[in-house]
Amino acid sequence: MFFLSKAQIITAVGAVGLALYVLDLVRRRRLSEEYSLLWVLTTVVIAVLGFSTPLLVGITHLLGIRYEGSTVFAFGLAFTMAMLLYLCIQLSRLVQEKDGLTREMAFLRLELEELRDSRDAVHPGGGDA
Amino acid sequence: MSGRDVLVIVPAHNEEESLPLILAEVRSRAPWADLLVIDDGSRDRTHDVARGLGVPVLRHPVNLGVGGALQTGFRYAIERGYAIGVQLDADGQHDPADLERLVRPVREGACDVSIGSRYVENSGYRAPLGRRLGMLLFSAVVQVSLGRAITDTTSGYRAYARDVMDVCRLDFPKDFPDAPLLIALARHGFRIEEVPVRMRHREAGQSFYTLGKRMYYPYKNLLASLMALLRRPA
Repeated sequence: MFFLSKAQIITAVGAVGLALYVLDLVRRRRLSEEYSLLWVLTTVVIAVLGFSTPLLVGITHLLGIRYEGSTVFAFGLAFTMAMLLYLCIQLSRLVQEKDGLTREMAFLRLELEELRDSRDAVHPGGGDA
Repeated sequence: MSGRDVLVIVPAHNEEESLPLILAEVRSRAPWADLLVIDDGSRDRTHDVARGLGVPVLRHPVNLGVGGALQTGFRYAIERGYAIGVQLDADGQHDPADLERLVRPVREGACDVSIGSRYVENSGYRAPLGRRLGMLLFSAVVQVSLGRAITDTTSGYRAYARDVMDVCRLDFPKDFPDAPLLIALARHGFRIEEVPVRMRHREAGQSFYTLGKRMYYPYKNLLASLMALLRRPA
């Protein structure tokens, strides 16, 4: 019962590969440390579940799941949902920040126009001097 | 500021055709008010047209939606010391002849927000069926939430007192500033009144509301109304 099934090996190797890829993305500054956290945690959990048959069987029984593979999928799905929710929260925050910056730009532009207008009124035809 | 204490805020998205007429109308009907155009990420010459007419323009480099545009206008009104801000559509739907009637109750302190309503008196306006159903639904939502009726929750022709703008400048619905906004304002303790106005048909340009937005509208507004009820007024 405690041997590694083909599916377990594929899952575990895939998880380790993904973890290495995520770390490499951080190294190359393509992914920030903050956003890598959930990925690293999840790949590690999946890899541990994949390699350690007793742990996987134990958790599967504990959760009342019938097939060990489903436990791995359940963890994967939970991670996906958590990641999507996290991204939506970040997206909402980014939109708020974008709106604030847009507004700030509009005010700066108007003030620049007003300054130019008042300068032109004082020095008609004056250049940028 | 020019010594005038009323600012007419005109959010405009691709309205180069209708702007000259509406701005001229406001100037002739309400010479006691200042004008401000919010160019909400237009791709046409909205900004140049308004500026050419001597109206200050705040130009969003990207589109924020009508609520986002109004928020920008409120900030301008607060920073420059206006006592009252009026929201007026660029498309010619709102008749500047009603401006005085709309502003009067706010100026006299009878209320903090006045809404130009199509239904307080029979003003001859008849909306399409889908829109009428939406209006009925959100009038009911407002009625249940506030315990009083507001017949025209979707009217975008409104005057706001300075205190209201001060609140709205920080927190305002981004895309559909109607029923949830009214609920939030009432919960802040602001007094809302309706004033009968005539609505005209659109002159030119395109509506803020595309098909996708019209489908999303009921969901967003119901949820936002509920949230406005659950949130504590700041």
